[in-house]
Amino acid sequence: MHISHIVPWLVVPLLATASLLGLSGPAHAADGDPVVRVGTEGTYPPFTYVDPRSQQLTGFDVEVIKAVAKKAGWQLKFVQSPFDAIFPALDAHRIDVIANQITINPEREARYLFTQPYTYSHGVIVTSADNDDIKTLADLKGRTAGESETSNWAQVARDAGAKVKSVDQFAQAAALLVQGRVDAVVNDNIAVLDYLASTGSTKIKIRRDVEGEVSKQALAFRKSDKALRDQAEKALAELRADGTLRKISEKYFSADVTVPNSGKVKVKGSDTRNTAEVVRDSAWPMLRGVIVGTIPLTVISFLVGMVIALAAALARMSANPLLRLPSRFYISVIRGTPLLVQLFIVFYGLPEIGLKIPSYPAAIIALSLNVGGYAAEIIRASILSVPRGQYEAATTIGMDYAQSMRRIILPQAARIAVPPLSNTLLSLVKDTSLASVVLVPELLRKATDAASSSTEFLPVYAFAALYYWIICWLISLAQNRVEARLERFAV
Amino acid sequence: MTATTSSLIEVRGLHKAFGDQEVLKGIDFTAEEGTATALLGPSGSGKTTVLRSLNVLETPDAGAVRIADASIDFDHLPDDKSARRREIKALRARSGMVFQSHNLFPHMTVLQNLVEGPVLVQGRAADEAEVDARRLLEQVGLAGRESAYPAQLSGGQQQRVGIARALALKPQVVLLDEPTSALDPELVGEVLSVIRDLAQQGWTLVIVTHEIRFAGDVADQVLFLDDGVVAERGGAEVLTDPQQERTKQFLRRVLEAR
Repeated sequence: MHISHIVPWLVVPLLATASLLGLSGPAHAADGDPVVRVGTEGTYPPFTYVDPRSQQLTGFDVEVIKAVAKKAGWQLKFVQSPFDAIFPALDAHRIDVIANQITINPEREARYLFTQPYTYSHGVIVTSADNDDIKTLADLKGRTAGESETSNWAQVARDAGAKVKSVDQFAQAAALLVQGRVDAVVNDNIAVLDYLASTGSTKIKIRRDVEGEVSKQALAFRKSDKALRDQAEKALAELRADGTLRKISEKYFSADVTVPNSGKVKVKGSDTRNTAEVVRDSAWPMLRGVIVGTIPLTVISFLVGMVIALAAALARMSANPLLRLPSRFYISVIRGTPLLVQLFIVFYGLPEIGLKIPSYPAAIIALSLNVGGYAAEIIRASILSVPRGQYEAATTIGMDYAQSMRRIILPQAARIAVPPLSNTLLSLVKDTSLASVVLVPELLRKATDAASSSTEFLPVYAFAALYYWIICWLISLAQNRVEARLERFAV
Repeated sequence: MTATTSSLIEVRGLHKAFGDQEVLKGIDFTAEEGTATALLGPSGSGKTTVLRSLNVLETPDAGAVRIADASIDFDHLPDDKSARRREIKALRARSGMVFQSHNLFPHMTVLQNLVEGPVLVQGRAADEAEVDARRLLEQVGLAGRESAYPAQLSGGQQQRVGIARALALKPQVVLLDEPTSALDPELVGEVLSVIRDLAQQGWTLVIVTHEIRFAGDVADQVLFLDDGVVAERGGAEVLTDPQQERTKQFLRRVLEAR
C-alpha cells in the first residue's frame, strides 16, 4: 500500500483532535529576528522544486516567499513535505507558513489565515491523448482522477463525482495518467504546462479548462498567528506596488499571474534533461541522502534499539510484574502497530500534548522503539535458548544475576541472536525510507525529489534501490564476519 | 543447628515438593570433614534433590542445611530479600559442584573456565588463579589443554575439567551429581579415578551415583534413599550386606543390569 493512501486517514483525525483541543500558538520566536519556517513540497514545478542543476530549492512560490521575507525582516527555514502532510505540519507547529499554491476555499478559510492571493490561475482537465470520452467536468462522474488527497483539485474532482486516487505529487499523477491507471487529472494549468514542456510528452493533453471562476492561491498561516500573517500581507502589498511580484511571475510564466486575467501563460519547462543527465545529476544528492540520512538513522536507531531491546527482554523475563507487564505491553504494541503509525504518533501526535520533537530525533525515536520491540523478542528467545545448566553452573561458582548474564549467558545468546538481529538491521535500513514522511532528507526523499522534477521514475528509483542494496550487501558481509568470530568456540 | 557439633555437613528435616509430588519427606544426615558420602537410590528417590539442596539450586520447603560455618534454616528464611540472598551466597561459597552434563562454559577456554570463578567472584589475582588452575589441570590429567575449547574435548576430558573447575574455588565440600552417567562406558574409568584421587587427598565429597562398586570403594558413608526418605544408612557394608528389603531389591536390579 502506498504511503499516500494512509496519510489522509491518519491526518484527518489528528487535525480534528488538534482543533478540538484548541492547541495552537506561535512556536517561532516572536522577538528580534524571527525565524519563519516555510512548508513547501519541493516537488511541484514550476512553483516549488529542486533545481536539477544547482540542487537548490527554487520556483515561483519559493521566490515569492523569499521576497516577502526580505520585506518583513524574517529569516527563512524551508521544510520540504509531501502535500498531504503540509497542513498537519502547520497544525503541529513544525512550520509557520505554507508557500505551495494553496488555493483559498471556504473550508480552509474557516481553519487558517490567508494573505491576499499572489497567483490567479485556473484548473484544467487532463486526459490521455487518445481518450475522447472526457470533455467536461461532468464527464468525470464515475471516472478515476489522480490527485493529492487533501488538495483543492481533489475536492473539485470529487465534487464532479470522480473517484480520487491519492498521489504524493503532481508528477505521480501524470505518470498514472500516462500509464492508463487513472482516467483524468485535474490540476493547475501552469503545473500541467510545465510538465508538458519538461517532458515533451504527447501522450497526455489538456482537455479543457475547469468551468467556473478563477482560483486564487495565497500564503496560509495558523489562525493564532495573525501578527505574522499581517506582516506578510503588508510585504505582499509592497511587492505588488513596486513591481517585484510581476517580475517574478514573468520570469517563470512570461505573464503576470499575480493579477486576475493574466493572459497567455508560457512555460519553458523546469527540467528538460535526458535520462543519462537525470541519473548523473541525482547520483550525488541521493548519496548525500544515504550519508546524512539513511546511514546515521540506521546506526543510531539500531544502537539505541539494542539497548532498549536488552532492557525490555530482561524485564520481560523478570519475576517482578512491575517490570514484566510494562515490557510485555511495549513489545505487544510495537509489534502490533505499523511503523508508519508509530512515526506519525511521535512526529504529528505528540506535539498535541506539548511534546514537539524535530523530525530527525522523531524518526530516531520511532525507529529505535520499533527495533527495540522486535529485537527484544529475539534477545529473549536467544537467552532462553541457553541451556539451564549454564545458569546453574554460573550460580554454583558464586556469580550473581548480573555477573552470570554478562559473562556467561549473553555471550552465548549473542551467537544465537546474530542471524535474526542481522535481519532486523537489514529491515531497519529499508524502514528508514519511512522517515521521509516525517520530513527527514534521506535517500527515498532525495530519490522522490529527483523523480518528480525529471519524471524519470524508473532510472531514479532503480538507482535508489541500488544504493539500498549495496548498504544491505555490506551489512551481510559484516554479519558473516561477526558470525565467524562468535562461532570460534563451537567445533 | 548447634555450634558444638563437629560435623562439616549437617542436614536436618529436609522436605521438598514439586507441585503435589512430595520428593523429600524428611532427610537427616551429617558428614565429617574429609569423608566421602555416597547417595544411592532408584530414580525419583530424591537423591539429586538432596544434593541440589546443599547449594540451594533447589530451595527446600522445610528443614535446615549447614556446611561448616554457613547455614540456612528453611523454616525461618529471613523476610528481607537481600539478607536471604546473602545467606544463600554464603552457603554456596562453601561447596563446588560437578554436574552430570558438566555444564562447562562453551565460549571460554579450559583455562578461562577454571579462573572465571576465582577471579570474578572471589576477587583473586588473575596470575595467581592461573597458576592454581594449571596445577589442577595437571592433577586431572589435562596439562597442555589449557587453551582448548570444551567442544574440542572428549566427554571424559570435559567432565575432568568440570571437576577441576569445582576445585578451583577451593571449596570445603565437592558435590558431584551423577558425574559419570552421561559418559560413554569406556570414558567412565578416567573420571572415577580422578574422583578416587580426590577422596584420597582428603576432600570432603558428596556423590550421587549409580556406580555401586565405585561407591563401595570410595564412600565412608552410604545413604540409600527411597521415596524421599533415607531407607538405610551405614558404611560401605550397606552395599555388600544390606539389611533393608528395598536396598536389597535395588542392588539386585542394578547389579543384574551390569
